[in-house]
Amino acid sequence: MRLIWIAVVLAALVPPSVLAEGDPERGKIIAYTCTGCHGIPFYKNVYPTYTVPKIGGQNQEYLIVALKAYREGTRQHATMQAQASTLSDQDILDVTAYFVSFGENGP
Amino acid sequence: MIRVSLLTVMLALVSTQLQAAGDYRRGLEKSQVCQSCHGRTGNESLQPSYPKLAGQHEDYLVHALKSYRDGSRQNAVMAGFAGNLSDADIADLAAWYSRQDGLSDLEID
Repeated sequence: MRLIWIAVVLAALVPPSVLAEGDPERGKIIAYTCTGCHGIPFYKNVYPTYTVPKIGGQNQEYLIVALKAYREGTRQHATMQAQASTLSDQDILDVTAYFVSFGENGP
Repeated sequence: MIRVSLLTVMLALVSTQLQAAGDYRRGLEKSQVCQSCHGRTGNESLQPSYPKLAGQHEDYLVHALKSYRDGSRQNAVMAGFAGNLSDADIADLAAWYSRQDGLSDLEID
């Protein structure tokens, strides 16, 4: 019984980053649309004008927070809100797992 | 006389450009506070929910910091820090972090 409690406590202590996984293979299919802006080097956003951010190798937790904020409307950007509104929680996990895979060792 | 005014205009253009581009060395000096969460190069995030900044596009970093400063992008922590930054501070910080190795564009295959 004590062992079970220890296991429960340990499970609670595992940071969310470890729990955020997702399937990068499935994410790659979802990401096809994203590459239309984030896959073109120096592609510009307009009104206001700035270069579309790099997301390859970004922290997965940050990307999840960003996509959910766009989906909920707490982060403003018309195109990103429209894109994120089509994504389920699982889609967000998978697509961000794919973005992370662009880290040090490439996708 | 025309030459002189041309030169003046060109110099003025160059100096505006330099001002907008930011000074990465000053950016490093000013980044002490940023470093406690984002690390020296912007790759060492204190929390996984904090973004990497290393290699991010310079003009995007400027846009992000100005959005935090004017409140159009909402984040309690970043609002506090960005609220104290001048345009020059923002340009310098963006110059520093954008010049580090880190993030990449997605590749299409």
